[in-house]
Amino acid sequence: MTLALATLLLAGCSSPAEPPVADAPSVVQVPADAPTISEAVDLVAEGGMVLVSPGTYEEEVTIDKAGVTLRGLDRNETVIDGGGTRAFGVFASADGVRIENLTVHSTLFYGVLVTGMHDENGPLAHGGPGYTELDPSEFPPVERFSIDHVTAYNNGLYGIYAFNARHGQIVDSYASGSADSGFYVGQCEECDILVARNVAERNAIGFENANASDSVTIAGNRFAGNRVGMTLVSNYQEAFTPQRENLVVGNLIAGNENGESPAHALGAFGIGLALNGGQRNTVLSNRIEGNPTAGVLLSNAEDIPSLANEFRLNQLSANGLDAADISASRAPSEGNCFADNTASTSSPAELVSTTCPAEGATSGGGTLPELTVPRGLSFLDIPPPPAQPQLADLESAPDRLPDALPAVAADEYPLPAVDLLADRAAVT
Amino acid sequence: MSELRRRDLLRGLATAGLGAAAGAAGGWGVAQLTDVDPDPPAAAGIEPVDPHGRHQAGIVRPGTPQPHGLLAVLDLAGTPDRTSLVRLTRDLGERISALTGAASGDAVAAAQSEAGLFDGAGDLTVTVGLGPRLVSAIDPSLPGSEDLPEFASDAGLALERRGGDLLLAGYGSDPNATASAVTWLAASIAGARIRWSQRLFRGPSQGTITRNPLGFHDGVIVPRTETELNEHVWLPEGPLAGGAVCVIRRLRLDTSRFHGASRTEQEAVIGRRRADGAPLSGGGQRDEVDLLAKTPEGEYLTPARSHARAAHPSFTGSNLMLRRGYSFDDGTLPDGTRDAGLMFVCFQRELRTFVQTQHRLDETDDLMGFTTATASGTFLILPGFSRNRPLGAALS
Repeated sequence: MTLALATLLLAGCSSPAEPPVADAPSVVQVPADAPTISEAVDLVAEGGMVLVSPGTYEEEVTIDKAGVTLRGLDRNETVIDGGGTRAFGVFASADGVRIENLTVHSTLFYGVLVTGMHDENGPLAHGGPGYTELDPSEFPPVERFSIDHVTAYNNGLYGIYAFNARHGQIVDSYASGSADSGFYVGQCEECDILVARNVAERNAIGFENANASDSVTIAGNRFAGNRVGMTLVSNYQEAFTPQRENLVVGNLIAGNENGESPAHALGAFGIGLALNGGQRNTVLSNRIEGNPTAGVLLSNAEDIPSLANEFRLNQLSANGLDAADISASRAPSEGNCFADNTASTSSPAELVSTTCPAEGATSGGGTLPELTVPRGLSFLDIPPPPAQPQLADLESAPDRLPDALPAVAADEYPLPAVDLLADRAAVT
Repeated sequence: MSELRRRDLLRGLATAGLGAAAGAAGGWGVAQLTDVDPDPPAAAGIEPVDPHGRHQAGIVRPGTPQPHGLLAVLDLAGTPDRTSLVRLTRDLGERISALTGAASGDAVAAAQSEAGLFDGAGDLTVTVGLGPRLVSAIDPSLPGSEDLPEFASDAGLALERRGGDLLLAGYGSDPNATASAVTWLAASIAGARIRWSQRLFRGPSQGTITRNPLGFHDGVIVPRTETELNEHVWLPEGPLAGGAVCVIRRLRLDTSRFHGASRTEQEAVIGRRRADGAPLSGGGQRDEVDLLAKTPEGEYLTPARSHARAAHPSFTGSNLMLRRGYSFDDGTLPDGTRDAGLMFVCFQRELRTFVQTQHRLDETDDLMGFTTATASGTFLILPGFSRNRPLGAALS
């Protein structure tokens, strides 16, 4: 009895602070109950669900209501089209939002964006950095989010983007044709974010993390056929430098030399995994192959060095260099180590034989193979992706998102085969 | 000026420095020294600049930098202890007050006459900075005690053009009077030797904004308001509050090669339009550069290796520098090189702002290919002074 009461009290505490509007519906169908997704979001009760029938929706959808689930009834046929003019497809600023089973394409900036960095006019994230930084303490992070079975293609900056958000997941999704990165997780501490089983191809960068730290797990993804597979970056333009303590496990990071993509704005090409001022990350059991510049690339971000990253049990082969460290002398890398990898080529030559732990070992000054970098294609001209698998259960209302993600065991994501998630990819 | 007259004057200053009221500076031999024209011909529209205040003159005061300057870097013999340094800066401040009219009439007339300001001070300002050797000898934890590191762009920079103990930066509308004033001040410092000096000039300005020798607008994005200056430029606390850390770089520019490039190529190097200084990402001259704006193909509108992108403080997590540069032109060297370019002068709260930016420029800025550093140094700009608070009092 006491136990039951305690449970009830806890449940009461964690329910939304505002009382629900009495007559707001818990499920709103588009277009049956509301002609647009935006109007459906206005109508639906907090914690309710918007179900969107197949169709093309030319709108910017803002979800500022807690606990809302936005779900397409056909991932490939429920399409939010930015028309090459609208800034974003879906922007969630409220806690506990789920975005599921739909496609967003041809936005100027963001396909799907979850962020606490916004004002009444919309998202501030990447509105163009000013000379005075936005104070992150004025913008509490979005808590709890899920982006599941979402397709984002041909978006001008990012396909799927979580910034200043925590306790969330981006899973079983797909991104291509992004002029910056397909997936982006940025600016959070104690993030508790899982990025798993996604496909990124034909992007300038497949996946990017800038300043998202502690408890970010990037697992079992296919980052293949981009210009750069994935990056872990410290970036002074956003809060919480340096980037640190991610787990990168069981990913395929391969063949990132695809010219059928927008250009990387700084000209990068042929790179698997780049750490630019990344620190204390664990890179485990990844297959990093066929990246003609470098499989793993270490560098400094201005005066922030790449420090104490561990590379274990990775399959590194057929890269221009399996590993390279081009850190400048003003911020040499330190303590990065390689254990039980297949890597054979590196610059400096001794880099891949730096065993773990490698406290105090500094490195840098490596040189990269010279490649001819193909010109970029317009993000609006990248071929659309192949049909993507549907969310299994389209009917049931989902549970409230958990306050914290369940722990991921590294052995859930062993060294992947070369055809990891190839059935969802156009570039194989 | 004759050695005799200089010694007379120094004796007079020493007397005044004994703490007597200003009116007691009567032993100056004023009668034979006063030959300042009471009605100078070229004074129209030129306003005197108060040397006294929370900050030294010549940084944000006057708001539009004067058209001429002489910048002198001096070395001191030995290493002065705190007491001697405090005395040195105090005396220097008093001479600057007298030169620029902020002292008793007799002292002013004597100083101006001695220094060769026969038409008065006009809008003369003189800014004083201390080099890292002197500052660190007093207290290595003080701002300004740290020297610049070796930059990639320092290759070929002669040893005698690096660093220095004392900066005297004089600015005014009258080029010869400005140079005379700085020379006179330098000569008044016992044991000081001019390591190098440079005459400076700049074109018509709107505030800090002027065209540089490349023909592009310079000094566009700088802190301007009181709030911005407090956030980015002035040392915020401690005895040196109101001072700043200054960096000077004498940058020879390959203007003939730059001017040989097409306008489009030049604009890609700078990241701004040549005609009006507006960013290539759009907007007007004073609008912020949009660093993220891209073409649909993924290229930056503000090119990846443009100066505007390379120098942007957001990349290095830096404050915004107050830049107040001048041109220089020393003609053509025997080997045919034009020894002309930009005297880069900047002020900031911490040296890191300049250091990390310069590293980044050396790595990512195409403009550096047109630039050769020929002198370099950092100086602690002392807080401002007044009659009751001598220059350098913060060090005591």
